Order: sequence, then structure tokens, then C-alpha cells
Amino acid sequence: MSENKTPDDGTQPENEAPETAASSSETASTESGDQPRRNFMVEFFAAAIGLIVGVVPAITGGLFFLHPLFKGKHEAEASARPDAPVKDEGGRLKTTVTLESLPDDGTPLQLKMLDDIVDAWNLFPNQEIGSIWIRKVGEQVIAFNTICPHLGCAVEHRAAKGDFYCPCHLSSFDLDGGKQNEIPPRGMDALDVAVKDDGTVWVKYEKFRGAISEKVSI
Amino acid sequence: MMRAFLAWLDDRTGINDLVKEALYERIPGGSRWRYVWGSTLVFTFSIQVITGIFLWTAYSPSAQTAWESVYFIQEKMFLGWLVRGIHHFTAQAMTVLLAIHLIQVIIDGAYKAPREVNFWLGLILMKIVLALGLTGYLLPWDQKGYYATKVTTTIMSATPVVGPQVQQLAQGGTEYGHHTLTRFFAMHAGILPGLLIAFLVLHIYVFRRHGIHPKDPKAAPESSFWPDQVLKDGVACLGVLAVVMLLAIFKGAELSPPANPAEAFEAARPEWYFLFLFRFIKIKLIAAMGTAFGALYIPGLLFGILVAMPLIAKWKSGHKFNVAYIWAMMAGIVLLTGIAFYEDGTNEDHQAALAEVHRDGARVTELANGPMMIPVEGAGSLLASDPFTRGPRIFADKCAACHRWNGHNGRGRLIKMTDASGKSQVTMPVATDLASASSREWLRSVIVDYSNHFGHLTQSRWYKAAKEAGEEEYIDPIGGEMASASEAYAELFAKAENKKDLDAIVEHLYSLSGRKADETLVERGGAILGGEPLASGDEMASCLDCHDTIGSDYASPEEAPYYPDLAEYMSKKWLKAFIRDPSKFYGDKNQMPAYDHDAIDDRDLDLLVRWMISDYQTEVHDYPSRLKDVPKPPEVPTAADKGAATE
Repeated sequence: MSENKTPDDGTQPENEAPETAASSSETASTESGDQPRRNFMVEFFAAAIGLIVGVVPAITGGLFFLHPLFKGKHEAEASARPDAPVKDEGGRLKTTVTLESLPDDGTPLQLKMLDDIVDAWNLFPNQEIGSIWIRKVGEQVIAFNTICPHLGCAVEHRAAKGDFYCPCHLSSFDLDGGKQNEIPPRGMDALDVAVKDDGTVWVKYEKFRGAISEKVSI
Repeated sequence: MMRAFLAWLDDRTGINDLVKEALYERIPGGSRWRYVWGSTLVFTFSIQVITGIFLWTAYSPSAQTAWESVYFIQEKMFLGWLVRGIHHFTAQAMTVLLAIHLIQVIIDGAYKAPREVNFWLGLILMKIVLALGLTGYLLPWDQKGYYATKVTTTIMSATPVVGPQVQQLAQGGTEYGHHTLTRFFAMHAGILPGLLIAFLVLHIYVFRRHGIHPKDPKAAPESSFWPDQVLKDGVACLGVLAVVMLLAIFKGAELSPPANPAEAFEAARPEWYFLFLFRFIKIKLIAAMGTAFGALYIPGLLFGILVAMPLIAKWKSGHKFNVAYIWAMMAGIVLLTGIAFYEDGTNEDHQAALAEVHRDGARVTELANGPMMIPVEGAGSLLASDPFTRGPRIFADKCAACHRWNGHNGRGRLIKMTDASGKSQVTMPVATDLASASSREWLRSVIVDYSNHFGHLTQSRWYKAAKEAGEEEYIDPIGGEMASASEAYAELFAKAENKKDLDAIVEHLYSLSGRKADETLVERGGAILGGEPLASGDEMASCLDCHDTIGSDYASPEEAPYYPDLAEYMSKKWLKAFIRDPSKFYGDKNQMPAYDHDAIDDRDLDLLVRWMISDYQTEVHDYPSRLKDVPKPPEVPTAADKGAATE
């Protein structure tokens, strides 16, 4: 019965309706014909309701997608597990070395750092999260992340030259972490170390952004 | 500026004509509420696309991560429960709207020439939407979805000739596993929505070609889609959205426990909108004709008539037949769905299985929320090593033939037998209810209400045989040695001044297992057992006179074969030793079978015992007590008969 599509402009009160409809409903009433007020109300409500029903699911989903920004880093809760890694209130992990056991001549030792890794719903207990260089300087203990601040390779200790050295791009550092050439953007990344009364050494393991001159934790 | 830009855009794209055509479709007879259903379907589909893609960003399809990622969405992610809830309930809303749209098209005659093709396109869309519902139900990989979908893939295997191949292709192998999920997910999030969009474009294109089918062209002046019909459509969509939001917020999408291929879910049902089909193939007559007949041929035939409707309408009274047919089909669907709900609602086994799956679901979420989170093997392993979950099952399997737990079999179900007249009756237990085994009440009732406490033993075959043969039983609840002692105790402790002393003895015995107890009472209890008189001045025959292991370090119970060894009574160690070999506690009068390593392995025994003594922490509601439903042994005098002081 229908004579197929004849979008018949003659029946429309306003000829330029497509533009107004396409942009929004605000301008719809400007030059309308028969019942400007009623038509405007209908258009306004039609557009408003259309907007609401579209926006509600989209906003809900969008907020859900932003979850990583709200929640930040996933941290393992303090666990009652007997083999759980031991941390102090500053987030420093208890290492296997003591002030006593570190070489008195300041030779750096490499230590593997173990911690629980939380990945969304999984907890991986006591995983290797990285390694550090640690050395005794007098009665102090200093530690560096082994990750090179240049482009992220592993920094080695050159006993013969008495320095730290990155084999990838030849960055070199003195034993206090200061840079010895212009390849790395900054010195080695020192870590927060605490020596407790019982002589145990605790280190807060952190990673930092590479290739920039500032030390920015990630 | 804006105008200039739009003019430029129109010149390059022709967008004005497109918008005009989209918005100014003629509606002869004016806008009507009855035209809104198609639009609500497009709207609900867009909700599904939006929420579906967002859920996709957090979903991980594999047997060890599907449930886990959905759990994480549901419990941990910001608004995850809401996004999942909207997706879940919008899917169900779509099936309802589909049915309404179909009925409306048929009763208005909108399927007739020249709109046949569009009607068929609509039927294809309906199938796609149902397939989306079916594939989506499996994705959380929980018990409910897993076993519901298993039924469907088993039905697929009943397809003639290529059945098993179809089934294997659908599930990615002969068994359910990783590839079942990856395949279902690809179908659900890729292939089916793609097809749906393609067919939806055709559907709308053909719809616009023929224009709306006016119910009554003279009802009102002609109107256009924008804004009159859009407003009505919008209000309808808002209504649908409101219902979905309310359900998502106040009911929420359930997540039952992780799929466990080793333990069938006895209340497996498809989603409610497929329930009529499930009930249909259960009709005896239909079932007798075979799965393929009931699940494929008959529904195929019924659907075929739907497809043939535009042709049928060409006959005289054809349209009337069609309208009658769709109403009859809907009535049948509603009726079968109603029957299925009613039957399940009144079926105790079904309700018990549901109660169990809800208990497990709450428990696994509680465990996953705990500090250990979820191990890499998947959340199923949390339940597999959980006393609260495994204990009842082991009890039901190994112990519930004789014992009960709060009157039920440990898993919330009464144990029943059908008697000669065909009536189902609760079976009389032949051993003690063990739910209170680790409590102070247990001890109190052993001391002052022994006959009643062990009363169910009188119902066992061995007891009756021994009575007939005139043999004496040590654990005879009527007239046995301890039964007589208990009667004397009941009399002693009925005296008000001795009430505190009974508490003290109970507390002392309670402390034997190493559980936390009131120190003062424990001490006083020990003194009484050591011979001190009761508050009333009466001297009491000490438990130690017979059970000489009370207070000892736990030793091999072989030393005391006639009076049960009470060293570390009801500790894990004591219970394990007891279950492994009760004859070491009761000597040759023992009637309980020994559970050696072949009968129950160490791991299961440990889980069972830890459950029995409540060695777990949970906030999850346990099964309600069914003690009232269990028949009492007739010969045993109750405490009230004897006037004993029990609490």
C-alpha cells in the first residue's frame, strides 16, 4: 500500500528541519510553522530522552574502563602466610644480608629481590621482582637498582676497573652510582635502605622511568 | 561558521539527504505507541554492544581465567557489577522485546506482502539474538552456565548424521575446555554481533523501502518519525532502561561457583527464556520419541510454520490462522515455562542443589577476596581445598548412610526412602547426629542425656540383632553402663546448685582438644574429676574411673580398648584416629566401619575433620537445620520424660 519512500518535504512544517535536527533541538523552534511551542517541546523531550538513554550505558561503561586510574597499583594485602615476604612500614623488604655480612672493602654484591606479585585476581607468592647492587660504605649501606637509567639493560660490576658498567650502550658509573660518561641521562638509581638495630638490611625496591634525567618512580 | 561547515559537508557527502531520510520517514495515521518495539530492540542491542565491548576489555577466555576475570569484574572493578548487570539483564529484556515485536508484527499483519522478506529477516535476527544469549551464558564458566550449555551441546550431538561433528566444532574438541571458551567468545563477541548488524541493516533498509505498516492510516493526520515517533520510542527505551537498571542494581547478575567438570550440577537449567524448550523435551511422550525429535524436529516444524506465515496469509482466513497460531505458541511457551518454574520450585532436590550452588558461590567469592587471592590453577582449587566446601560432600558420601548433620546429609538434603506404598519418607538415622560433635552441647548431652544422645543407635540392625540374642552392648543407649551413669548424673545435675559444676566439667572436657575455654571453669572441672565433691556436697563418680586417659597426652588408643579414649577428645588428631579405626575406641563392641586409606585419603580425612570441628572462618550462611524433620527413635525415653536437667 505504501508508495515507497517519498520523504515528502511538503508535509513538513519547516523546510530546513534536517539541519536543526542534525545539530540539536535548540534551534528547532526558530522558524517553525503551525504549532511552534508544542513542536519544540516534543523535539526537546525526544532529544533529551534520546540523550539520556544513550548516555547512561555509555557513561557506566566508560567509568568501568577507567578502573586502572581509580585503583592505581595492585598491592598484595598483608598476608598471614608463613612464607610471606617481610616488609617494614616504609615498604622496605627484608634482605638476606646484614651489615656484618657485607664486604668491608665496599665491594658491591648483587641481590635478587623477592616479593609477592599481584596481577588482577592472581597472587604469585615470592616472585623475583628484580635485582639490586648493594655495598657497605663505612657504617652505611647503599643500594642501586641494577636497571640502567639509560635504556633499561642490566648494569654489571667491573671488578677490574672498580666501576659499574652497562654492556648495551657502554654507560658507566662509579661505585657510588654517579655517572662517568655522558651516555646515561642520570646516575644509577639509589634505593631507600634501612639498617635495623639487629643489623639486618632492608631495601625498598622501586623501578624508575628510563631515558630521562629526573628520577621518577613507576 | 557552523552553517558553512555543514553546507560544505553536505556538498561532499550528501549528509543532509541522509539525515532527512532517516528522520523524516512518513508515518501515515500518526505516531503510535505500538510502533516502538523495533526501536527498543535496536536500543537494547546498542546497550549490549557498548557494555559488551567494555566487558571485553576485562574478560579473559580460558578455563582458568574466565570465571576469575568475571569475578574480578564483579567484585573488584569500578562499577563492574553494574556494567555486567546491565549486560545480563538487557540480554533478557531483548528476548522479551523480541517476542512482543514478533506478536505485534503478526497481529497487525505487517508480515504480509510486500513485507515477507523483511519478516524473514526478522526471524533470522531473532535466531541470532537467541544464539547470543546462549553463547553468552557460558562465558563466565560457572557451574550454572557450564552445565546449562552442556545440555545444549549434547542436544547438538543429536543432529542426524553430523551430530557429533557439529558438537565438536561448537565446543572445540570432544570435551569442554579452553577452546570451548575461545570459540564461544568469538561467536558471542565477533561473529554473531557482526551477523546481527548485517541483518539489522538489511532489516531496516527493507523496512524503510516499504515504510511503516500503518495500523490505522486514518486515525490521525500523517506524521513523521522525528520528533513525534522518536519521542514515543525514546520513552519506551527509557522504560526498558529503567527496568534493566533496577534489576541490575537490586537483583544483580549472579556468579555461581567456577565450573567443576568433576561435579555435575544437579539443577542445571538453561536461562529462563529457553526453559519452555527444556520442559518440552521432558514431556514423557516427547521424550519417548528421542532427543532429536523433541529438541530439533518439533521446534523446527513450529518455527517452519512461523516462516511460512506470509504464504499462509494468502489463503482465506490465513491471517486469522497466523494470529491464532502465534497466540497459541506464546500460551504454550508461557505454560511450559510456568510448569518448569513450578516443578523446580516445589522439588526439594532441585532446591537443595540450588542452595548448595549459592553457598559455594558465596564461599568461593569470600575465599578469592581473602589475602591469598586466586591461585594460578584457578578459583576451583580454592573450593577443592576448603573444609567448609569439601567437608559436607565427604560427609554425605562416607558418613551419611548412618549419621546425619543437623538432620540432613551434610549438604542440606534429607535422606529419604520410598516405602512399600510408594510414599517418600525421611529415613530413620541409625547413628548420632554429628553437627554438634565439637560443641559444649554435645558433651553436656553425653553426660546427662546419654540415652537420647545415642538414641538412634537403637534403630540399627546390629543393635536389634544383639538385643534379640541377649548380648550386652557397651554403647547401649538403654540400660548400658554409661546410660545408667548418665541417669545418675542427670539426677545430680538437676540440682540448681550443681548447675555451674556441670558447666565446669563440660568446659574441662571441651578444653581437651586445645580449643579456647574458660580457665576457671576448666580448673574447677578438673578438680571435680579429681574427686572433689559437687557444690551440693554430693560425690560424683568421676569420668576418670573409666575413661582414664582424660587429660593425658594423646597416646595410641590401643591402651584403652573398652572405654573410649578421651585424650585430646575431639581434637583433629582424636577424630582422625577414631575415623581411621573406631574399634580402638570401642573394642570388639564397635560397629562403625574403619575408614582406612583406601576408604578415605589423608587429604579428604583432614578436610572432613576440619569441617566437623569448624576449623574454618566464614560469613557464608550454612544449610538450615533439618533436625525437626528427622523421626525420633520410638523406644528411647527423652530427657523430658526423665525430668533431667538439660539445656
